[in-house]
Amino acid sequence: MGNYNIHVATERCTGCLRCELACSDLYTKVFNPSVAMIRVTVSDADWDISFTDECNDCGVCVDHCFYDALEKSEKEQEK
Amino acid sequence: MTIGGFAGNVLYVDLTHGKIRREPLDPALAEKFIGGFGLTVKLAYDTIKPGTDALSPDNPIILGTGALVGTNLPSTSRVYAITKLPTSNTIGWCGAGGVTFGCLFKNAGYDHMVIEGRSHRPVYLDINDDRVEIRDAGSLWGKGVDDTSEALWEEFGRPKGIMTIGQAGENLVPFSMAFIDRIATLGRGGLGAVMGSKNLKAIIVTGTNGIRVSDRKGYKKLSKAFFQTIREYRYLKEWQELGLVNSFPMIPKDTYMRMKKRRIACISCPIGCKDVIRIPDGEFKGLVKCSSSVINLYTPVIYGFKDYRESIKCMATIDQYGLDMFEFFGVMGFAKALGDEGVIAGDLMEPEILMDSLQSMETWAGKISKREGLGHVLAGGFKGILEEFGEEAEKYAPALIKGMHPYAGPGSALPWDLFGTMELGQVLDPRGPHVGSGGSPTYFAKRPLEVFPRHLRRMGVPEEAIERILPGLNSPGQEQEIMVGRLLRYSHTWFTTLGSLGICARAAINRFYNASLCAQFYETVTGIKTDLPELRKRVDRVWTLLRMANVREGLDRTDETPPEKWFGDHGFKDYASEKLLTREDSEQMIGDYYEEWGWDRKTGIPTQDILRELDL
Repeated sequence: MGNYNIHVATERCTGCLRCELACSDLYTKVFNPSVAMIRVTVSDADWDISFTDECNDCGVCVDHCFYDALEKSEKEQEK
Repeated sequence: MTIGGFAGNVLYVDLTHGKIRREPLDPALAEKFIGGFGLTVKLAYDTIKPGTDALSPDNPIILGTGALVGTNLPSTSRVYAITKLPTSNTIGWCGAGGVTFGCLFKNAGYDHMVIEGRSHRPVYLDINDDRVEIRDAGSLWGKGVDDTSEALWEEFGRPKGIMTIGQAGENLVPFSMAFIDRIATLGRGGLGAVMGSKNLKAIIVTGTNGIRVSDRKGYKKLSKAFFQTIREYRYLKEWQELGLVNSFPMIPKDTYMRMKKRRIACISCPIGCKDVIRIPDGEFKGLVKCSSSVINLYTPVIYGFKDYRESIKCMATIDQYGLDMFEFFGVMGFAKALGDEGVIAGDLMEPEILMDSLQSMETWAGKISKREGLGHVLAGGFKGILEEFGEEAEKYAPALIKGMHPYAGPGSALPWDLFGTMELGQVLDPRGPHVGSGGSPTYFAKRPLEVFPRHLRRMGVPEEAIERILPGLNSPGQEQEIMVGRLLRYSHTWFTTLGSLGICARAAINRFYNASLCAQFYETVTGIKTDLPELRKRVDRVWTLLRMANVREGLDRTDETPPEKWFGDHGFKDYASEKLLTREDSEQMIGDYYEEWGWDRKTGIPTQDILRELDL
């Protein structure tokens, strides 16, 4: 698993899908939203951001969000 | 195909015979014409037979996306369509922020699509990777843009990119548009009517193939620095918050914030400029409207509406029908003048045309879109009205260029009075009066000329051309002037550069790009060796070929005559001196524009020398 907790502020999301592009590029070496482990489900006025079971919380999606719709915080170390 | 960036295929759809085929994209052609807008021009030149009627089955529609579309480079989502346009009767481009459409089209495996023929019944095209089907659109025909989009999303879910027309396109109104994802417009010129003439209601697309970058290491390095530049832009949050309200303060910011529900960005864009708003109070409280910008929703205010909420409601109706708002209001203003002067009989004017009335404008939008009563005549646009009412009507006609109403300038919706590249560009873009391709620093009024060279270098203008554009810049004491015609040549170059790569041309985002960086990104993504001089040459080839496509149609300098209403006491002013513009000034600029391209100064026809030089 990755080192981050991912926090979502859906109301700031614009549906630009930069997160999906970044995720797919990192793990498959192609830009392909259909295989991204973060899913932005868009409708006209309301939408949802979720993660697939395979997501390992690496936080690359956060790094590529320009709208502060995603933020990350380090996970507490397990003792 | 081994080059990166491109999906690698061209999709051919023959609606007459219901046949679909895909062909590999020719890498040599992709290199020669860049891709996106550029390769769309090439396919249009090769496919559109000279003299084709815009609304006949023989007129193909060519769609294209750029090599960078589908990557995460900022604002690389553009979609272009080129066809013979019914309003201007020229081969012209329509372009839109692709929202999800461009990226999903590429992911389905296609860079371009050529749509030919005419279906014998209403259909829509369903593209899902290799599976491409022509489906019955009987249940969609007669629906508006929003309703069609909603129905398709409800049936097929998301993500699905949707391009659709409303009732105006179905009924061949020459000022009808196509919409992407119900927000972005492929507008002005009549693409909606061309789709309608083919009985093509919509295109839906999704795909799972992905876009590969040729030089990943180089891409990472270049893009990382580029992203950082945008992150550090001090006005980034302001633009994200306000969008175009930031540069068009016609809407009070507190009013905007009260109705703002969400910003929408095209895929990969860090400065999303599209709006979802919700009317906060009044009779239409709760009405939710998407738009390519909230600014557009205020267009009826420009024409006299007093209540912004009624303005938004009116635009919701106009967009549903799929009408071009500027042309609609221009036509209505003309019809009202003809009614007032008795040229149109009073009993035909039912309801009365009131430019500031929601009820009147909504009713007329419907009558035009469905061709009911006098609406049938008005649906013919200025050309149709002039044909119907003849010479008597002519003296009341507004300024017209290539059969369309310019939307910037004296007597137009946007009453800009300084004559910069966007204003002149309304005459010299083959598609007719549109400002989209004419961007330059003159976009901002009264900018000191000292700041121009930096921007021109960013646009890729060669040094010797900068001296021609700004002849007095390095000569103290000499009157400062700007050669707008020569500069417009490079506006079109810059537009072609951005469009061919798939980058949005809006000022808020293209400010971060420069021509050298475009060449670097293109080379890194595609693997096609490209430096700035080579990119310039390919770009020149593209715009010159578009010119040739229209010369072949019979376009000549008389079609590019500035309207008389642009001159006089209330006419345009020179950008630098602010003296009133004369016809002679404008003719000089047009000659300069042609000459700067290497076209014949008098006729605007590309010379044999330049055609040879560009390998055309």
